[in-house]
Amino acid sequence: MYKNFKLRITIFHCINTFNGAMAVPRGEDDDIELNLIKLPCSSMVKDVFLLRAFEAGADAVIVLVCPEGACRYVEGNLRAKRRVQRVQNVLDEIGLGSRRLSLFNVAPGDEAAVAGIIQEMRAEITALGPNPAHYISRLA
Amino acid sequence: MIVGEQKKIAEIKELVEPYRKILILGCGTCVKTCFAGGEDEVATLSSALRLALSMEGKEIAVEELTVERQCEDEFIQEAAEAISRNEAVLSLACGAGVQDIARTFPKVPVLPGVNTTFIGILEKHGLFTEECLGCGDCKLAIFGSVCPIARCSKKLLNGPCGGSKDGKCEVDPAIDCAWQLIIDRMKELGQLGRLKSYVEPKDWRRSNAGGPRKLVRQDHIV
Repeated sequence: MYKNFKLRITIFHCINTFNGAMAVPRGEDDDIELNLIKLPCSSMVKDVFLLRAFEAGADAVIVLVCPEGACRYVEGNLRAKRRVQRVQNVLDEIGLGSRRLSLFNVAPGDEAAVAGIIQEMRAEITALGPNPAHYISRLA
Repeated sequence: MIVGEQKKIAEIKELVEPYRKILILGCGTCVKTCFAGGEDEVATLSSALRLALSMEGKEIAVEELTVERQCEDEFIQEAAEAISRNEAVLSLACGAGVQDIARTFPKVPVLPGVNTTFIGILEKHGLFTEECLGCGDCKLAIFGSVCPIARCSKKLLNGPCGGSKDGKCEVDPAIDCAWQLIIDRMKELGQLGRLKSYVEPKDWRRSNAGGPRKLVRQDHIV
């Protein structure tokens, strides 16, 4: 039913997970639009940033953090995890669905892992459909 | 501090639905500390409400503002212009703040976004516990600074009920037995003998049970 929409994914990433431009697994139809937001530490991702990403039209939001125990700032990734969990609860409460927001631990510079995560989210969100808060405007 | 918890979004949505332009007004003191109504919570709630209403094909203009305290006129007046621009105010302050805003701006609907719960402390990060009922007649000195009114489930004044087990209350095992805490504390202070003195029944007229209270400090009125 939602096959032909261009998937918009916003990725908040710690600069210690990867830095600079990365290869985007765009697929044959170039059906993904990525918005990359880098942070000095994943703990800088505030609840409101995640929600505003959905307000701005993201169909899915991914937060990439360092592996547990490997955060340069000790517990930044743990704080990010808590914030993501809180916002997932909010998304469930308002009916948007927590599956649209995910957090993944990524070893520094592991672009292959990031590419795999994007493919995984692409499949998941394609099945879920576009962000219902923006679906009507995107049909026009 | 006053501890409160933000209402569920569904309840808040129902409160604001009649309005197209609202101000979400946060408070930078107690409710900020318990993560219910500070600047961050105002921003998060604004975004969540817009998303929730957008999914129903509705739009709402949300203005955000947080003042230091909503229980003092000096800070309330900082919100005057923002209040005048909006159809209603969703206040994330405690009940006192909500009412002070409403009293100061009587022509604007002021809606509560927080359930005010108790007077308490931040026991450790993320844990807030009730410590005081505001009874108006503090006898903490008798009880080694552990309040049996707020912290004993049965509000006993003259010793434990005998139902506790391993220092936990028989009413709710998640609650520490206040009298265990009192006895431990008095032992530590070397004042255990003081607990033998009889404590008279409480005069509840000095609490809210005697009606809403006022405090007039003539010595501070110019």
